[in-house]
Amino acid sequence: MAERNPKVVGFCCEEHGIECANLAVRSGKQYDVSVRLVRVPCTGRVDGIHILKALEDGADAVFVLGCLEKNCYYDTGSIEGRKRVDYVKSMLSQVGIEPERVEMFNASSSMAWKFSEIVSKMTDVAKRLGPIEPRGDGQ
Amino acid sequence: MKRSIQVVICRICSGAANVLDTDKLLRVASEAPYVGSAIAVDYACNTKTIAQIVEEAKDKEIDRLLVVPCSKNEVSPALFQSYKRKAKINEFLMEAVDLVSEVVLPHRDEPSKAQAKAEAKLLAAIARMAMLEPLQKGSEEMRTKNVVIIGAGVAGVEAAKRAAEAGLHTILIEKSDKEVKAPGVVMPRSRLISAKGHAGNYELTIEAGEKMEALECGAVIVASGGDWSEAKGPLVRACPEAKPLYKLAQELSSGNIPKGGVVIVDTPDPKADTTPAQDFAWEEALQCAIEIKKRESGTDVCLMFQEMRALGLAELSYKEAAELGVRFVRYDKKRPPKIDSKDKNRIVVIDSAQEQAIAIAFECLYYASIAPNPDNMAIAEALRIPMNDSGGVRRGSMQKGPIATPRPGIFVCGSAQFPRSEEMSRLEGRAAGALAAQFVSTGTVEFGGSVAEVTPEKCSACLTCVRTCPYEAPFIGVAGKAEIRLQLCQGCGMCVGICPSKAIELHNYTDDQLSAEVASYIGGDF
Repeated sequence: MAERNPKVVGFCCEEHGIECANLAVRSGKQYDVSVRLVRVPCTGRVDGIHILKALEDGADAVFVLGCLEKNCYYDTGSIEGRKRVDYVKSMLSQVGIEPERVEMFNASSSMAWKFSEIVSKMTDVAKRLGPIEPRGDGQ
Repeated sequence: MKRSIQVVICRICSGAANVLDTDKLLRVASEAPYVGSAIAVDYACNTKTIAQIVEEAKDKEIDRLLVVPCSKNEVSPALFQSYKRKAKINEFLMEAVDLVSEVVLPHRDEPSKAQAKAEAKLLAAIARMAMLEPLQKGSEEMRTKNVVIIGAGVAGVEAAKRAAEAGLHTILIEKSDKEVKAPGVVMPRSRLISAKGHAGNYELTIEAGEKMEALECGAVIVASGGDWSEAKGPLVRACPEAKPLYKLAQELSSGNIPKGGVVIVDTPDPKADTTPAQDFAWEEALQCAIEIKKRESGTDVCLMFQEMRALGLAELSYKEAAELGVRFVRYDKKRPPKIDSKDKNRIVVIDSAQEQAIAIAFECLYYASIAPNPDNMAIAEALRIPMNDSGGVRRGSMQKGPIATPRPGIFVCGSAQFPRSEEMSRLEGRAAGALAAQFVSTGTVEFGGSVAEVTPEKCSACLTCVRTCPYEAPFIGVAGKAEIRLQLCQGCGMCVGICPSKAIELHNYTDDQLSAEVASYIGGDF
């Protein structure tokens, strides 16, 4: 059987997150092909349901990349985003899924080096943990 | 709803041809649901090509456009404009897919995987595009083109001059009755009481003397400035003769030169327990030191600092001061300078450049000390803008510019963004004047588009959105349900994400649209 490709989804805010990724690639960084970036206007828009649906649809790890908390384009958006992500993490640990599959990061649009770190961290998590195993005890 | 998407792939600019198989991409796109036409062109920014694309869109009754350009921010505006005008397509049904940044550049070394990813990305974008809805923007005339500037200090006057150069009427609000040389109207002995409205149409209430006055304006500039303060710290308590730096400047301008050695410290509290080091005061300190040295070259002048931040051209003063023989001593705040317990006129400090203790005898000790304006709190409260830790008005994200507050149409410059040096205040004042002029001179404010909307049936009036929104756009209307003020909504979607009843939707970023995009993107195997 061929090795399964890991799947990582990244919700990036349009103002800083996606710009951080763009700067990284435009300065020559290569990252893992399994990473799928999805634009959201602000990380405050990301709801728990989006992260959970992504995991349900087959993502092995999900990260949310927002502005630095003191320099958020929408002032408090990335703080709200972090609250949402923390809530999802606590929910995941309750149902027996590793909470480190979901992570929130902050970067400004000029922190290209940080994007590579984030992506390598999340692809490592996805490769290490593999696909989400349904619990056998029928709960 | 009839949906027909046109997919345009720009072969050359997107650089896709080097890594990706554009023909295969086109085939994949044209087989996707709702795609009415898929074409690849050589230059999507070429006028002839645009005309050709628009013709095709008209022939095939296309109502939405997906373009794969060189980068999201560099789509030819002409393409979108001609689509809007000639093919009568709603501007919210046109999007760019940034295959270059997301696929071509980061995965150059794995062409086969990159191809699979590009196809998945394109299909995800098509899935999202098929669900978008046409939106309309509203616009509103500005009732006046006034710019109100709060504070007639260095920054405020400079802002008024710059805005007046752009042909705008400026109104300066000054709390004291000092003489102000500035264009436009100056209101002495007045202060801001409250503010209503939104960008472009603010209604301010001003207390002028004993009367209350209502004032309409398009933009507000906060230039409340700072105050020289006589804040005391441990260093100053140990040496009661120490004076704040502005007294030295006053003495020098009236022609008195201090006798004997002069020491200038950057803060009254070198341990920084209460007052942070006043880095910004170095320009003034350097000027004073040079002045003393020039008039009386025999005087010993010593500047004691944690970090010298002589910005811009002030670097030249730094050099000049060093050439004139001013002594610079750098200290660490963990090892603060102390007054010698035996001799009141000696200061002992560990110079961090040489790592050894030195004692400097002095006759006069000065310390830099500026306090934020105590009125900042009232101003920020009235205008509903946030404050920073040091008691100034906080600017918004750096991407909106260094002098913009989170609220559109309100700018902050000079020491109001505590702390700033005089030169910096002047520059920021000019910038604020120019930006306010740019904002107001359009004469109209646009709003709406991709903004939040409440479904009243689902709303339980729990006030969560009201508390969360940094722009105060949601409010509880007369029907007891949340409503969104379109003019204030910036379209961030924070209220949408947090609403426990899922009663709010952000147009074109709805849950369904986002989930469809994610599901389609995850579906690809690469």
